[in-house]
Amino acid sequence: MSETPLIVLDRVCKQYGTTPVLRDCSLTVARGEIVVVCGPSGSGKSTLIKCINGLEPYQSGSVRFDGEEVGARTTDLPRLRSRIGMVFQSFELYPHMTALRNVMLAQVHALKRPRAEARARSLDLLARVGLADRAEAYPADLSGGQQQRVAIARALALDPIAMLFDEPTSALDPEMINEVLDVMTGLARDGMTMVVVTHEMGFARKVANRVVFMDEGRIVEDRPSEAFFGAPVTERARVFLSKIIAH
Amino acid sequence: MLEALLPEALLPEVIRQNLPFLLAGLAMTVRLAAIGIVGGTLLGLLVGVIRYARVPVLSPLAALYVEIVRGTPLLVVLFICYFAIPALLGYRTSAVNAAALGFVLFIAAYLAEDVRSGLRSVPPGLARAGLATGLSTVQVFRLIVLPQALRRIIPPVFSQYVRLFKFTSVASVIGVRELTGSALLVNAREFQPVVILATVALTYLVLCSTLSLVGRLLYARLSVRT
Ligand SMILES: Nc1ncnc2c1ncn2[C@@H]1O[C@H](COP(=O)(O)OP(=O)(O)O)[C@@H](O)[C@H]1O
Ligand SMILES: [Mg+2]
Repeated sequence: MSETPLIVLDRVCKQYGTTPVLRDCSLTVARGEIVVVCGPSGSGKSTLIKCINGLEPYQSGSVRFDGEEVGARTTDLPRLRSRIGMVFQSFELYPHMTALRNVMLAQVHALKRPRAEARARSLDLLARVGLADRAEAYPADLSGGQQQRVAIARALALDPIAMLFDEPTSALDPEMINEVLDVMTGLARDGMTMVVVTHEMGFARKVANRVVFMDEGRIVEDRPSEAFFGAPVTERARVFLSKIIAH
Repeated sequence: MLEALLPEALLPEVIRQNLPFLLAGLAMTVRLAAIGIVGGTLLGLLVGVIRYARVPVLSPLAALYVEIVRGTPLLVVLFICYFAIPALLGYRTSAVNAAALGFVLFIAAYLAEDVRSGLRSVPPGLARAGLATGLSTVQVFRLIVLPQALRRIIPPVFSQYVRLFKFTSVASVIGVRELTGSALLVNAREFQPVVILATVALTYLVLCSTLSLVGRLLYARLSVRT
């Protein structure tokens, strides 16, 4: 079982009305692998990773997570999702709850962990992301970088076997980007399987095993990161990279 | 009980002489408003949530109810509750009960719209984040969306409560002796419209201001952190 790849997308197609958003996307992520997804805005990156935890329905193809078909009617989506952590561009912390309660919520209500245990686990995780002293703060009183670290702790609280990141640093002021990337790098070192949509090419170079480049709903490159950064095969990826790096 | 709160000596002669009668009217006004607020809030929440959730069959029915009530004058709603519905369903009712039912049905339609738009105003990303952590749709609604929406809808909801409080005076038309109806009866005997109606208006003003103050305090309390 543990020999099978953790995430397998096979010719996934999705359209909104008549507009195709994903066209025949196939992607395999092995256990412990770090895959960075990049590409121009609107190319379908967010849609692709939301297919992995069933937040986006798709019209054809198949998505398997740990051997289970995500789109199957019989799949227990809440259970499946509790095994996959997800971090969003705009943090999406619950504004009416403290950082601690944000991290506790799904442990108590989805995993049915006893409150005391959930609380202890949350405090541990907040310490791990460097926010031990901010447990009682509300999201509105935290900086963007702190909010995103709370969001990472919230995702980790379910003891996921994979993490999905959708542009986790794009909404951050430059001086806060590194505090979030550092936490992510730590996770990668600990062997977490990660799919990361990001334009942080420094992070991709240092941490990713593979880089996937998307354009107009297609996966146009999927190669080991050294090879990708060495010489992208497609013109689109070359142009994209030169723009990102110049800026 | 209400008598104890009033500095009787300060009241105009005509009010003082008819005080028990007027206070009974005021008690009826408060009672009608309370029934309308409690019943209307429960029904409005139910209808608003049904509209928000886009339940097949139920949501269109809820929308129809809201449209019909909002397109009907309050007085007509009260007449319907007093004459038409009892005739149709074959039961007898008192003016007070008919008015109470009418206020509940009337205000619930407006509250339902406030509930629905409050729920819709919660950023969908929050619900998505909840779902992504393995919470069920119902848990996401109960733990994340509803608490967010409630604090947003307190101001419009309290302004509906204030409207309803003033609207209770319409019940006098079907013969309910609430504050306005009682005052009109007193005036018919005493004929001192200026003093009597000024007193009535002032009473509504004080109670409505108190109600909206409660709303503002509640809002301030709940939204410290949003
Ligand atoms: N709810 C939606 N309705 C219609 N089109 C959508 C919707 N969500 C996304 N799209 C379209 O799908 C395409 C891919 O979007 P997205 O996956 O967010 O791209 P990316 O994350 O790469 O910027 C875009 O062209 C976008 O306009
Ligand atoms: Mg995106």
